[in-house]
Amino acid sequence: MSDAAAKIAARLAELWQTSRPTILERMDVLRRASASLNLNPADAEVRGAGREAAHKLSGILGVFGLPEGSTIAAAIEEILQSPDALTAADLETLQKQVTALEAVIASKDGPGADGPERA
Amino acid sequence: MPRRVLIIDDEEDIREVAALSLETVAGWEVLVAGSGSAGIAKARENRPDAILLDVMMPGMDGPTTYHQLRALPETAGIPVILLTAKVQAADQKRFSDLGVAAVMFKPFDPLTLAQEIAEALGWRDA
Repeated sequence: MSDAAAKIAARLAELWQTSRPTILERMDVLRRASASLNLNPADAEVRGAGREAAHKLSGILGVFGLPEGSTIAAAIEEILQSPDALTAADLETLQKQVTALEAVIASKDGPGADGPERA
Repeated sequence: MPRRVLIIDDEEDIREVAALSLETVAGWEVLVAGSGSAGIAKARENRPDAILLDVMMPGMDGPTTYHQLRALPETAGIPVILLTAKVQAADQKRFSDLGVAAVMFKPFDPLTLAQEIAEALGWRDA
């Protein structure tokens, strides 16, 4: 690893620790949005909050070495962009994607996690 | 003299990682701003060689910030690269049609961001 790569990797590891609470908070917004939309699939406010959280996660997770997290978050953002009430199929996909995203983020701190990788 | 790049993004993490990347990998001087209005002020004051501009920001979004930069004589000629997490084809076309120098996407690789910017702007010294 070059000096630049090592320096960036070390700083990313520090940044992950400081960013983690915000990332988990955004994950929580998605979890609550998914549950809430199951009760009211037409709730535009909840869709908007979820879309914003997904957008932010999609932009940052890959930078921290979680490209799969960025891809899943982008898929969630796309579902929540719908101007219409979510369909039963949308809701099922949303729930699955939120669960998958949660697992990806948890894997970063779980056994075998070895710090940031290249995006 | 090193290149000077202004990063305008409301996300502190993105600003920090992008700045780290451009400073460490390319040795460029980096300025940062957390909003469109703060970015315009910094651009007027510092005249950077390029601006990396986030699309989705609260308040003044990226496209609005871009139009204001273009309307000011002292910033009109600074190349602007839009940075967005949106990857849908329709958005790419809409952003390209604004007249920006390039559209780049998050997540970016901190090790190659500087090279991508240099290539997009035709900088051969990076």
